[in-house]
Amino acid sequence: MKNGPILIAVIAAALTVGMTPVSAFAQDSGHPDPAALAKVANKKPGYSPYAGRDFPTRPFFGDTHVHTATSFDAGAFGTTLGPRDAYRFARGDEVISNSGQRVKLSRPLDFLAVTDHSDNMGFFPDLMAGKQEILANPMGRKWYDMVKAGKGADVGIEAFFALFQGTYPKELMYNPGSRGFRRTWDDNIAAAEQYNDPGRFTAFIAYEWSASVKGNNLHRNVIFRDGSAKASQVEPIVTNPPVGNPDPAFLWKWMEAYEKKTGGSVLAIAHNGNLSNGMMFPMIETFGKQLDPDYVKTRARWERLIEVTQTKGTGEAHPSLSPNDEFADFELWDTGNLDLSAVKKPEMLQYEYAREALKNGLKLEQQLGTNPYKFGMVGSTDTHTALSSAEDDNFFGKMATAEPSAERLTNAFLSSKTSKTGLAYMDWEVSASGRAAVWATENTREAIFDAMDRKETYATTGTRMIVRFFGGFDFEPDDANNRLPARIGYTKGVPMGSDLRKAPKGKSPTFLVAALKDQIGANLDRIQIIKGWVDKNGKTQERVHDVAVSDGRKIGADGRCKTSVGSTVDVANATWTNTIGASEMVTMWKDPDFDPGLQAFYYVRVIEIPTPRWTAYDAKYYGTKPLPGTPMVVTERAYTSPIWYTPGE
Amino acid sequence: MRLLREPLVHFLLLGTALFAAYSILSGRDELPRDAIVVSPGRIEHLSALFSRTWQRPPTSQELESLINDFVREEVAYREGLAVGLDRDDTIIRRRIRQKFEFIAGDLASQSEPSEDDLAAYLKANPDQFRVDPRLTFRQVYLNPDERDESIDKDARDLLITLNGDPSIDARTLGDRILLEHGYADVPFREVAALFGQRFAGTAAELNPGVWHGPIESGYGKHLVLVDERNEGRLPDLGEIRDRVRQEWDNTRRVDAIEKFYRDLLAKYEIVIDLPDPE
Repeated sequence: MKNGPILIAVIAAALTVGMTPVSAFAQDSGHPDPAALAKVANKKPGYSPYAGRDFPTRPFFGDTHVHTATSFDAGAFGTTLGPRDAYRFARGDEVISNSGQRVKLSRPLDFLAVTDHSDNMGFFPDLMAGKQEILANPMGRKWYDMVKAGKGADVGIEAFFALFQGTYPKELMYNPGSRGFRRTWDDNIAAAEQYNDPGRFTAFIAYEWSASVKGNNLHRNVIFRDGSAKASQVEPIVTNPPVGNPDPAFLWKWMEAYEKKTGGSVLAIAHNGNLSNGMMFPMIETFGKQLDPDYVKTRARWERLIEVTQTKGTGEAHPSLSPNDEFADFELWDTGNLDLSAVKKPEMLQYEYAREALKNGLKLEQQLGTNPYKFGMVGSTDTHTALSSAEDDNFFGKMATAEPSAERLTNAFLSSKTSKTGLAYMDWEVSASGRAAVWATENTREAIFDAMDRKETYATTGTRMIVRFFGGFDFEPDDANNRLPARIGYTKGVPMGSDLRKAPKGKSPTFLVAALKDQIGANLDRIQIIKGWVDKNGKTQERVHDVAVSDGRKIGADGRCKTSVGSTVDVANATWTNTIGASEMVTMWKDPDFDPGLQAFYYVRVIEIPTPRWTAYDAKYYGTKPLPGTPMVVTERAYTSPIWYTPGE
Repeated sequence: MRLLREPLVHFLLLGTALFAAYSILSGRDELPRDAIVVSPGRIEHLSALFSRTWQRPPTSQELESLINDFVREEVAYREGLAVGLDRDDTIIRRRIRQKFEFIAGDLASQSEPSEDDLAAYLKANPDQFRVDPRLTFRQVYLNPDERDESIDKDARDLLITLNGDPSIDARTLGDRILLEHGYADVPFREVAALFGQRFAGTAAELNPGVWHGPIESGYGKHLVLVDERNEGRLPDLGEIRDRVRQEWDNTRRVDAIEKFYRDLLAKYEIVIDLPDPE
């Protein structure tokens, strides 16, 4: 049993891996006795091997965050591919990229949402028209002079900064009601309608509400459950005054008005708290107002998910907030805000990262009655090239200027010359991430949206591993040996994104968790369950538990496995082998220090063995030398939506 | 009358009629070259744009300023072009190129395909439209992590057992995997999404009714029994007309843009002076 995963001790004991003839195979399942199987499955499974599955049997993989040429900044940076190209690429077609290269995904995605920025849809035609008002505005005057001097592309970059700084001249703003805006929206809707193919490929109608306050990122993607008939009754709401407002409360009003007017459904997914400089998950006040019961209730209603990992970094946890979590230091962007106009101060971090928000949300629930940060997790790319690529060996960058080339290992994503602080984001920092995995019953807008709404989702950093996570009070170690973990999971517990309430006397929460590697990806290193809670003194706490590890390593009494899985990565050749790690892990875990009187949440993190990062594939292909400090190895991972525990009388 | 059937006469008559109609409708015989005309249609349009933003029609004062603004825009635009402000400007160059490509592509997709066009397209690109074969199958998994060298022997032994005893419950054999044991009537691409392209390709070729294997996937080895295979087929044009139309449009658009450049470039001689190395 060379690479056999050691699960928890109980299961290891049950895994009688007799390698001798046929009768022994029956024992591999750990159920030599058919009566035992019948007992855990409640009854003997029916004759038909196919019947009786009314729960989701596979996760659908997609991207809820893709920009195309119609986003003003994407257009400024040279993106020519539109929404139709985005959907074609996602469903598996080969397309020609913005830089003229042939590109295709390793396998199709199941769904995609094109989320072009609502602000300033259709900006360039106006600039070209050279309106009189431009000259009256100092910034307009400057841009006009730049246009005259032949530096049109630089105007695009400056406009991007101005928009996120709130200094954008309103004379140049395209707003709802204008012709260009409406035309763009109608065309994006038409593209989604054209490519939506129920059962095979879901094309969501969506947009991004890109609010920023002085460059602090508060962006949300708005996803529609509905088709054109409802979505085209409205126009997206913008963030810049006087028509728009960067306060998310403003967006929530719009969402409510949409549902009231059309009878449709929308949800919002926030992203890049890591670039919000302390504004994404407030604890005391926001936009000059104290958090109140209304704020927390409204936020919880609309913000069902967050995008926890994407090209501009991963925002699950931060090493300075979680010093005992050695896996927290992963693809971080923590030097400043979105446009690097302000540096990051340490005290901002606690309002930016998902794990901290999940903990703080419990506290707010005590104070205000509702947990505003009770969100599920997805990952997505935020690509601005219309190409949703998140594979390290097939990564087409975040902006059209960073499609594969000999230069991108050394180029700046955001140059220190343009940023106010003199700091820079380099192209090598851009992460080939992420994917949204959704446990839906079928591949349709309705089924995928509903699964997102109930938070039965997980995020991955690009891999398509399969992760199951169920919580309940009655799981037993043997359940991890069952042939049908999903059936057991749904029968005896609730899936990721759900609630456990009021523990029966003397019982602790138990969890059934299972992960299967991406069929063309890397093996698994470990499964972890992360618990967060508020203690008796009202202080937030967290603890990382290793619950399954590969290669016969041991989990200590402290619930941790300190032995590294090792690495097979050959950076120079950008290769690795699956000779370490496990292809599948399943286990049952019981919270060892449960207090039925305290709120808590539990979520799963699955870590893969190390593999070459996209930077290694670039260096190998182009024969270029990376800048000092460029990471060349990545450990892909998945984060599930939490299961929350709430005490009751 | 023979003369009335001459195309040239038709042309002249039509031209005269159009000219007369234009003179009457525009109410002017001729305009100076440098006139800026704000037509009723334009004013209606300006007013409509205003209403969409403000949810009310403009007051007469506001309308006046909208019109003045339009006049200024027009004069600035004309004079700007005249003195060459559009030249050497990346944004304007890119935008004009975009517009040109859009028009070229759009013109192509305006044309309505005939049934024959679509039928020919379907015939020439059957793979784009073929309905996937569908499989009903069961699988027994062998985990290489746990079986090591014995895996092939285990697979052979297990295969004999499965085929030798039809009453055996295959769900209890082999190793556990997070995927299902049985899949009913799933399309080929779904099989490929779950088990990989290679596995799906092999499984689709298996003789139904007998256990086969081992077949490899990214997870390990599998023994597979196909209960039923529904062959893929090429639907009739009538069933998938919209999809064929969509692909036809797209191909026309891509081809039109290609042709557009080919035709234009034929008029030019391209000289590329590469800089000397070093």
